[in-house]
Amino acid sequence: MGKALSWLLGGRKPLASHLLLAPAALWLLIFLVIPSLALVALSFAKNGAYGQVVWELGLHNYRRAFDAKYLPVLIRTLAFAGSATALCLLLGYPLAYFLVFRAGRWRNALLLGLMVPFWSSTLVAFYSWMIVLGKEGLLNSALLKLGFLSQPLGLLYTPQSVVLGLVYFYLPFMVLPLYGSLEKVPRSLIEAAYDLGAGRWTALLKVTVPLSLPGIVTGCLLTFIPCMGDFITAELMGGPRYYLLGNLISNQFLMAQDWPFGAALTVILLCGLVAGLRVYQRWEAES
Amino acid sequence: MPTSRRDFLRAAVLAPLMPALLAACRRASDEGNVVNFFNWSNYIGPTTLEDFKKDSGIEVRYDLFADEEEMFAKIRAGARGYDLIVVGDYLIPRFRSLNLIDPVPAGSLSNLDNLAARFRRPIYDPEETTVPYLWGTTGIAYNKRKLKKAPDSWWDLWDERYKDRISMLDNVRDCISVAMQLLKIPQTTKDPRDFDKVRELLVKQKPLVKQYSSSSYLNSLVAGEIDLAMTWSGDLFQTARESPDLEYALPKEGTYMWVDCLALMRGARHKEAALRLVDYILRPEVGASIANHVRYASPNEKAHRFVEKALLQDPRVYPTPKVMKQLSLHHVLDSEQSETWNQIWADVKVS
Repeated sequence: MGKALSWLLGGRKPLASHLLLAPAALWLLIFLVIPSLALVALSFAKNGAYGQVVWELGLHNYRRAFDAKYLPVLIRTLAFAGSATALCLLLGYPLAYFLVFRAGRWRNALLLGLMVPFWSSTLVAFYSWMIVLGKEGLLNSALLKLGFLSQPLGLLYTPQSVVLGLVYFYLPFMVLPLYGSLEKVPRSLIEAAYDLGAGRWTALLKVTVPLSLPGIVTGCLLTFIPCMGDFITAELMGGPRYYLLGNLISNQFLMAQDWPFGAALTVILLCGLVAGLRVYQRWEAES
Repeated sequence: MPTSRRDFLRAAVLAPLMPALLAACRRASDEGNVVNFFNWSNYIGPTTLEDFKKDSGIEVRYDLFADEEEMFAKIRAGARGYDLIVVGDYLIPRFRSLNLIDPVPAGSLSNLDNLAARFRRPIYDPEETTVPYLWGTTGIAYNKRKLKKAPDSWWDLWDERYKDRISMLDNVRDCISVAMQLLKIPQTTKDPRDFDKVRELLVKQKPLVKQYSSSSYLNSLVAGEIDLAMTWSGDLFQTARESPDLEYALPKEGTYMWVDCLALMRGARHKEAALRLVDYILRPEVGASIANHVRYASPNEKAHRFVEKALLQDPRVYPTPKVMKQLSLHHVLDSEQSETWNQIWADVKVS
């Protein structure tokens, strides 16, 4: 048994490692590679009667996508995803720091607590927010009762409520990589900094933060990329003026019945994100 | 089509899960006496399906949708396994031309003659390939405690005074039809200038609109988030049972009526059982009990005896003959018009 396992795990034996990789590779091939290729193919097709796909290939969907009317949507999406990511980092870094260095025996319980919101459906979470933030919701009625307000505040359907929804949902995507990389920061280096006369802040800024940079980058990417494609948050908490790229794409599939155009928009978004990643990697390699 | 927040939550949560569950169930027990029924949420009597099981021994596996364009997208994407679906009148030609539904065989229903004459051989389906289920109107819902003057025109939804208190149905058909009605443009138009005007009118309204929604706006009305909403009649009446401040107005310009129909999915595996369910729904007392609950009008004339008196005499549900004359069915669009309409709606959303 032990021998078999070590044979399987022995990375140098090509057959064994291929065998171990096969299920994951097959999974990715069937559920990621093939659908993505189908999507790319679809993006060159034409939309026929009643939304039927006509396989006359061309660039018409891409020509349509580079229309000035979509520019505000792109800028809005970048702004929302960017501020949600920044806010996640601002909230997530101290949280991860606390979990790693200060939480002690509560650490695992708190880490688990971070994941609890994920056990419920996204929709339930958003409807709960609507109950809290609504004009006659919990927050407004509490503030009115306490006399802090004379008129209920319009908290829902604002840019802030969309960013709040995004931060609420994607915060764990930021905290977990940060936690992982902070945990790996050798305590001896921090102690050495103290020994050499660094204060708390100097040690944090000159040792801990730079050493946790990979976690910061991963966390930001893991938050920013799904935020760029998110549509349910804007739909439920944003109202019509905060229409994002994700809404534009989902509407092509669900409402406008124009799948080829939706596919083209998806491919463009995907290429944009990949290009952004490449630029970042090059910049990182240079510096 | 929710009656309460709790119901809505439940439906909202379950709806996306249902196809997967349904597929799993189908595999688990394909044999047996069942029919898979795909319907709008809150669009049937509370005990209709249980009663049908008691009556016929056929079990109904029930699945819900909250938006018919999404339902269409799902069916077109290949969601199979449904036997019976509810389709709006205007979607029937589209479903027919894409071969998504099979005609109900002539003579297979013993209760078909219970339908009122005006619902036989309708213009959207002259060959009677589907069976009318319920009908209603599109109008304006409002909170009478919050508005000084009751709305009586579609233009009220374009009124600056109500900025941020308005909700529009997230529905291509209803919104563009109303814009065309206000601009006095016939739905048969193919003139690009007409379409530009329609787009312009809807874009102009957008800054006033708090949400485009076909179901959650009812919660917003109850919660005081909005005070006016374009609505489907019965949805508002269901909500108003719990919130008596809500009222329904039929605009003086006239409005649209629509008929939701029962249709057999192409290649349905339980066709016999589905037809028995349709025939059961066509029974007068069954049709009436559904109408009593969902607050839409029943096309079943024989059922009217069993419909609550208050409901039957409510001109908002069964309009007076004079109002009836002002109601029109949606025009049947060809595929080109349909695409233009969708495109206009997409542009309004992006603007």
